[in-house]
Amino acid sequence: MNPLRQAVVDWLDDNFHFGDTEALLGGDDEKSFLRNGILDSLGFVKLILFLEDTFRVRINRKDLTRENFDSLGKIVRYVSALPGYREGT
Amino acid sequence: MPRVYWPLDEAQAQTSALYAFMQHCERETHTRFSGYLELQSWAVRDYERFWQLFLDWSRLGVTGAAAPVVSERDCAKARFFPGLRLSYSKNLLRGSAGWDDRPAVTGITEAGERLRMTRRELRAAVERFAMGLTRLGVGPGDRVAAVVRNTPEAVVACLATAAVGAMWSSVAPEMGEAAVLSRFSQLQPKLLCTHTEYTVHGVRRSLLGRIRTLIGDVPSLKTVVALDSGSGDGKAEVAFLPRAELEQHGALAMDEWGEFPFNHPLFVLFSSGTTGAPKCLMHGAGGTLVEHYKEHVLHSSFGPREKLFFHTSAGWMMWNWQLSALACGTEIVVFDGSPTYPTQDALLRMIDREQVTVFGTSATYLHALQQLGMPPKEVGAFARLHTIQSTGSILYDAQYDWIERDFKRVRIQSISGGTDIIGCFVLGNPLLPIHRGESQCVSLGMDVRVITAQGLRRHGEGELVCVNPFPSRPVGIFGDDSGARFHQTYFSQYPGMWTHGDQVTLSEQGSARILGRSDGTLNVRGVRIGPAEIYSIVLAMPEVLQAVAVEQAAPREPGGSRMVLLVVLRGGTSLDRALTLRIKKELSQKGSPAHVPAVIAQVAALPVTDSGKLSEKAVRDVLHRRPLSNRAAIKNPEALDAIAAHPDLRLPG
Repeated sequence: MNPLRQAVVDWLDDNFHFGDTEALLGGDDEKSFLRNGILDSLGFVKLILFLEDTFRVRINRKDLTRENFDSLGKIVRYVSALPGYREGT
Repeated sequence: MPRVYWPLDEAQAQTSALYAFMQHCERETHTRFSGYLELQSWAVRDYERFWQLFLDWSRLGVTGAAAPVVSERDCAKARFFPGLRLSYSKNLLRGSAGWDDRPAVTGITEAGERLRMTRRELRAAVERFAMGLTRLGVGPGDRVAAVVRNTPEAVVACLATAAVGAMWSSVAPEMGEAAVLSRFSQLQPKLLCTHTEYTVHGVRRSLLGRIRTLIGDVPSLKTVVALDSGSGDGKAEVAFLPRAELEQHGALAMDEWGEFPFNHPLFVLFSSGTTGAPKCLMHGAGGTLVEHYKEHVLHSSFGPREKLFFHTSAGWMMWNWQLSALACGTEIVVFDGSPTYPTQDALLRMIDREQVTVFGTSATYLHALQQLGMPPKEVGAFARLHTIQSTGSILYDAQYDWIERDFKRVRIQSISGGTDIIGCFVLGNPLLPIHRGESQCVSLGMDVRVITAQGLRRHGEGELVCVNPFPSRPVGIFGDDSGARFHQTYFSQYPGMWTHGDQVTLSEQGSARILGRSDGTLNVRGVRIGPAEIYSIVLAMPEVLQAVAVEQAAPREPGGSRMVLLVVLRGGTSLDRALTLRIKKELSQKGSPAHVPAVIAQVAALPVTDSGKLSEKAVRDVLHRRPLSNRAAIKNPEALDAIAAHPDLRLPG
């Protein structure tokens, strides 16, 4: 179990889907958040702050693109490659 | 006194409509006003003369006698201009020299579709829709319910409803089924205007399930008009009247629109309090029109050269507020979609592209941009933007600096009022400087004061009350024929004064700083939610024995707040993650996303007063570490100590 992936799923459950996040993803971590209504307009703001707080990383605002954040898989890959990221922090 | 953000420019002030009106009052009353404060002092002292002069100066289209101004001077009972008649829609759509071929409304969707209508085109569309309504037998006193996106066709349907004298009541598509039902079932509407689908972040969502429920549970509905041509599954099961068919019977020309009494009900807005079902507040056509015209022309300096975009849905009173800006020739932009789709800066790009001059928003949105580290100035130059209006929650001092540094140096008007008065108690002013974190002034003609520990005061911190009559108070609550519920809501706490439910500081310089709610109403990003709605949903869950929902200052958002729900669970049940998610899901589905608290915490007991009532106020005070005014009246003060010590509920610092 990837703790980063689990943290994002839990966060989506806590804030938007209340236990239905995995069902919405349907086993596809590359499913587009935007196209499938998985994250709402201001949700991304909260998600970025959550990731920075929880994993003690700094996300460059210029990187807030669909290429980096539009799916669970993309978020996990982007955040885990950030300098300073450590699993379980 | 906070630092000045925008000093007064005397020369510019003298070009404002407010200055022109002040001069008009000076001429008519043979009085010299040194500035706004003296004008305001006179306007509240002689409010009947003030409203008469304003109506005369405004040139709004009314017929009949402008005297008496009020039916009586008792604040709780006064009705304004009982001898006047008017048409709200006619006043919004009237042509003035050169206005007819100028844009009146521009609709933008998140997909980038754009529909622009001139005043002439908008009027023609309203005339066709009004004819359709008339043929369906919709007329004075009928209710038209609406589940609509923020689009030009919603504007058309609303103005046509008003044109035939019916009441318009709209909610946004995001509102949950139970919340929509609890509102519209009280109103017994004859007609439902609805979109059949809406789009969030590019994803189409059907409204057909909700429409079917409404048809099943609101038997007064005779017709359902579809404003769009969505083609969701099951559309055939609903007998929609397509908008195109409704409009195919010709036009009810504007000249034929009736004029209705000044206090004829125009809009029904919903305000949910601490107990009972949401209240259906009926706002009168005249009160709404003159108050909005005053706020728009005098306080906001709107006019035919302005282009207003207020970021709202059709379910918030700011939708009705921005609509009325048509009366002063201002073009309105209505936006249907998510502010961050398809890109995070989508809304900002639209504002820049459309050359909006006045941007209305919430402190929450501005705060989100700031948190994201997304300086709007990097998105565009916002060449024509000169004013930002902010409401919904408190715009704190540092946000003024952020706007100046990272957005644009523009006038910032922090405005506040609400659904209950379909307008503002505090707002902007071209004759005064702007101080960080403050609204510039109290609305002209409204005798707003504070109830402090020392009693009624003109200045200081306390509960906001208005002690003189004003035209935009509701004309009543639908279904409350005796008026008892209306008076209980607004006039029972301090007899003879309107009690609004806000805490405020009024400065001696005339400025104001709203501090938050003074009652149990929850303010979630500007949407007022009565705890009663929360309770009706969570107490229906078998695990939940008692619940209290209150607002608490948000730890990471100066000036912002979060909703906290405290629950007492039935014997032995503990609030695990699964139950927490289930409570949130119930609230989201049966209420709306705004009904979902930021924090849910289990407690062993909630504070109970001697009379056996749960005390929301005691919980609020404890969560804000305020001294408890009524600890002696709490039967179980140890419950408060436990809440104060709860790890999930402590504020940092």
